[in-house]
Amino acid sequence: MRMNETEKELITMVLSGRTEAFEPLVTPYRGPLLALATRLTRNREEALEVAQESLLRAFRSLGRFDLSRSFRNWLFQIAANEARDRYRKRTREQAAFKDVAGRAAVAPDPEAGHDREELRTGIMHSLAALSPREREVFVLRDLEDLDIEETSRVLGCSGISVRVNLSSARRKLREAIRRDFPHLEEGR
Amino acid sequence: MTCRKIHKLIPLAAGDDLRPRQARAVMSHIDACPACRKELADFRRAMGEIRAAAKAERAAEWSSGEWDALMSRVNEAADEARAGEGRKAPGRVLWPRWAAASALGAFLCLIVLSVLFKGPSLRTEGSRNAGRAAVRSEAARQDKVAITMVSPETGLQVVWFLDKNFDWKGDRE
Repeated sequence: MRMNETEKELITMVLSGRTEAFEPLVTPYRGPLLALATRLTRNREEALEVAQESLLRAFRSLGRFDLSRSFRNWLFQIAANEARDRYRKRTREQAAFKDVAGRAAVAPDPEAGHDREELRTGIMHSLAALSPREREVFVLRDLEDLDIEETSRVLGCSGISVRVNLSSARRKLREAIRRDFPHLEEGR
Repeated sequence: MTCRKIHKLIPLAAGDDLRPRQARAVMSHIDACPACRKELADFRRAMGEIRAAAKAERAAEWSSGEWDALMSRVNEAADEARAGEGRKAPGRVLWPRWAAASALGAFLCLIVLSVLFKGPSLRTEGSRNAGRAAVRSEAARQDKVAITMVSPETGLQVVWFLDKNFDWKGDRE
């Protein structure tokens, strides 16, 4: 996804000192950014902090942004780094990741059927059990629909690393479904 | 390719994420192998379920208060940048940490290298005397001392040999 001319103009305005241009620049991405942060952190409050900090960092670092890149992917990169930093910090503080998964505060959809809700909860728990890198790769590639090259750029790793982690993440999630929801496979 | 290799590649094949050459090899095997074809289809279905469930999760939303608070922080950051130096554009950043760490590392390397590879140092008179004393003490440990005298006019060389007590032991021309 390339940048459009409006974004370039808005960036130029912000860099020239017109701070008010920052809000229209990032407004289209506020939803996707918070959704990404929620998927990475599995916690609404923490996701909000990640999204806020990412946008602040984006504002402070806008001068370093390469205009040939996708602005959305650049924001995603900042958010992924921020989420990873927080995860490491939390790990250092010995807050077990499973606890975080347990207190995932994502509201259930009341209109969904019971089975689907159960499946969703199970998948979300499985997602939380992936390693941070596997989760990042899965979220960016499979949920945010970035391709392998974009994912590797966002995460600052090689395409090989993305493929390895993606393969591992998909295999683990599939195994989780097979283990916890065997009827889904058998019933088809 | 064997079925075992195909099974390893199926997670990537399910999302069309294999490299073209690998993808061709996998597809040609799958066309001929019903078991692997079924495995790929099952995997794709499972991935579809996972994606659908994950995407159906109700997206978190910003409240207007949260968004306004963030924009206020952005404005504060801009004001700080302006007030701080007056010239600093909002996008300008300080040196990243790695640059500071590299500079420190280079400085430490210079110190280590300067210690390891010392050049000629300035010696004081005291240290010179200490050097001579060391030579003398080295000579004292020798059993035999040879003194060579050379005539600058004829080139004649006379070598005297003395023992450790400086008793004359002979000469040679």
